[in-house]
Amino acid sequence: MNLLDFSNSIEGYLLVSSILLTLGIFSVLTRKNAIGILLGVELILNAAGINFVAFSKFHLAALDGQMVTLFIILIAAAEAAVALAIILRFYRLKQTIDADEASLLRN
Amino acid sequence: MAQSCLWIVALPLTAFVIQALVGKRLPRHGDWVSVLAILGSFVLATPIFLKLLSSGHVNDSLQFNWMVMPGVQKAVTITVGVLVNNLTAIMLFMVTLCASLIHIFSTGYMHGESRYHLFFAYISLFSAGMLGLVISDNLLTLFMCWEVMGLCSYLLIGFYYQKLSANHASLKAFMTTRVGDVMFFLGICGLYYVFGTSNLTQIYEGIKSGVGSNVTLVGMPALTFIGFMLMMGTIGKSAQFPLQVWLPDAMEGPTPVSALIHAATMVAAGVFLLVRTYPVLEAAQIVLPVVATVGALTAFLAACIALVQVDIKKVLAYSTISQLGFMVLGMGVGSFAPGFMHVITHACFKACLFLASGSVIHAVHTQDMREMGGLRSKMPITFLTMFIATLAIAGVPGFSGFVSKDRILGDALAYGMTHPTLMWIPILGFITAGLTAFYMFRLIFMTFFGHARDEHKHHHAHESPITMTFPLMVLAGLSFAIVFAGPTGIHSIDANLLPVHWFDHALENVKTEMGVKGLHVSEEVEHHAHSLAMVISLVVAGLGIFLSALTYLKKVISAEAFEKALKPIHTLLWNKYYFDDFYIKGIIQKLFLPLTVVMAKFDDKVVDRILVDGWARVAMVLKSIIGKFDDVVVDKVAVDGSGTVVAAGGWVLRQLQTGKVQQYLILTFIVFGMLLFYMTR
Repeated sequence: MNLLDFSNSIEGYLLVSSILLTLGIFSVLTRKNAIGILLGVELILNAAGINFVAFSKFHLAALDGQMVTLFIILIAAAEAAVALAIILRFYRLKQTIDADEASLLRN
Repeated sequence: MAQSCLWIVALPLTAFVIQALVGKRLPRHGDWVSVLAILGSFVLATPIFLKLLSSGHVNDSLQFNWMVMPGVQKAVTITVGVLVNNLTAIMLFMVTLCASLIHIFSTGYMHGESRYHLFFAYISLFSAGMLGLVISDNLLTLFMCWEVMGLCSYLLIGFYYQKLSANHASLKAFMTTRVGDVMFFLGICGLYYVFGTSNLTQIYEGIKSGVGSNVTLVGMPALTFIGFMLMMGTIGKSAQFPLQVWLPDAMEGPTPVSALIHAATMVAAGVFLLVRTYPVLEAAQIVLPVVATVGALTAFLAACIALVQVDIKKVLAYSTISQLGFMVLGMGVGSFAPGFMHVITHACFKACLFLASGSVIHAVHTQDMREMGGLRSKMPITFLTMFIATLAIAGVPGFSGFVSKDRILGDALAYGMTHPTLMWIPILGFITAGLTAFYMFRLIFMTFFGHARDEHKHHHAHESPITMTFPLMVLAGLSFAIVFAGPTGIHSIDANLLPVHWFDHALENVKTEMGVKGLHVSEEVEHHAHSLAMVISLVVAGLGIFLSALTYLKKVISAEAFEKALKPIHTLLWNKYYFDDFYIKGIIQKLFLPLTVVMAKFDDKVVDRILVDGWARVAMVLKSIIGKFDDVVVDKVAVDGSGTVVAAGGWVLRQLQTGKVQQYLILTFIVFGMLLFYMTR
């Protein structure tokens, strides 16, 4: 069995999703650009979707996980639309999309 | 019967309320309200009196609980009620009759006065008080009515309140009678202490069964103490020596008031008290001789002063005191029925005299007899009625005063014969009878006979209107002896209306009812004394009238010469034995005024400065302590403190709210990581 052949074990999938999650969290926490943060969020959602599909495939032998993943993709699209709208409104207000400037509720 | 008695009192009382509240706005200022009310009382009193005349005996009572107080051993119930016996029936009739006539007279006499409605309000209240006193079956309500009369007396004497002298006189009357009233109240307290009740019937029963004969109170037998206190009540109210000073000054009031209050009824209330409580006085030791002494002294001293007075009302005032002295003397010597009879006869003829004097004053606008004279032809009705009343008071046979006074003097003489050391009491009585005849005829001669001394006043004098002369005629009619001691000679009256000696029968019945012993001397002594007394009183009355006629009618004896010859005595009498000076300069100014100064000092320095102001200081200190506590502990620590703590907590928590989204996320992830770390371990 090839060491790098992950096609028949769950570890490969989990590794990819972990990398995606880590990149997503890193991007959400470090990016100042609001769109960058939004992209990070998409990465986290996709990591979760990969996990659903992987656990569904290896442990359930049913299509429940795939179903949930379809919902996640749908919600991600809707979320992206709402978030982009917020960002646009915010840009109108502050002439910037720097997340640090969104501090009206401070203190 | 007792029910209608309540109405007799309620009617004038209602009239008082109406008059006091809306009298001013009623037509004629509401005098008809008072007159109708008292006439209603008279109408209600008449059947009771007629029943007495026909059966010689009435007795009815009505009681209801006034207060029920829980006591230590048993509940104490105070009952009030009505006691109608023969005394009450006679008094009710007399009082309502006199009061009605005087009300009617007042409508004429007071016509056009300011505060006319209030005058009627006061005399209505007064009538209610007197009638209430008469029907009271216990001494408590009797005392209340007694005080109501004192109040009315004060109000009416000071009716012309613009006059300083009237103000002084009303105060003097009120304060002087107060001395007697306080003692009277002590007497009531004593009676309650001994008998456990103030109900008269129960007290009579108690005396009969010998209750209280060995109880002592303030170091003397209780009944003696009570007797003296009741006597003091009478002395105050009936203007007896030594509290006689207020009655002459009371003449400052309008003349109908003098007639109603200070002759016919209120002053008679004092004697009525003696009559009502007579069994107590008899059971007490040495009280009755003292009562007799007081009466004799009063009668004599007042009659002497009346000799020198020139004010027509003052003469009558002193004559009232003197006659009241006779009544008290009669009570003192045990002459129960004649003493009470004199109350009634005196009320009628003295009311007549006062009203007639009012009629004279109304006509000539002066009270000074020296400015009158020759009014006989100008005012025939007033003259005739006043003359009849004068014959009655002077004790001329055939008139009411003779009957009652002669019997009192007869009993007094019998008393003096059995107690030789007290012989001077009847002697003083006889002298007074002579003096009475003298000064009363002096009044008549100076007022109605001779020539007019003041032409102007004489010229304007005229007979009074019918409202004023009618009462005079009725009262003069009651001044004849046959009214009281029958036989009139007309069979139908003697048999039905006025039975012969109805008064004596009525009083005999009430004496057995109350357990009054009366004068007990042998029949021989009594008979002897009475025939002697009749001769003596006839002689002295005749002598008095004769000397008076010589002095003031024929001018054979010069009054001025006498006055000069007896200058010291005249001065003494003119100054009323210096009693007023003694009371005012001696007792009030020397004793009470310094006492009031000391009391004022005490009030100012001790009560005000130490107690009131001192307590204020204590309160101030307490106030500042409490204020500090409130300021520091409650406001600063509790209220402001909790606020500060919350604000500080809020500041701390506020620092977390940086508004940086990623900071929040980091915190979220850290917490999430920590939860994960602890939960998977």
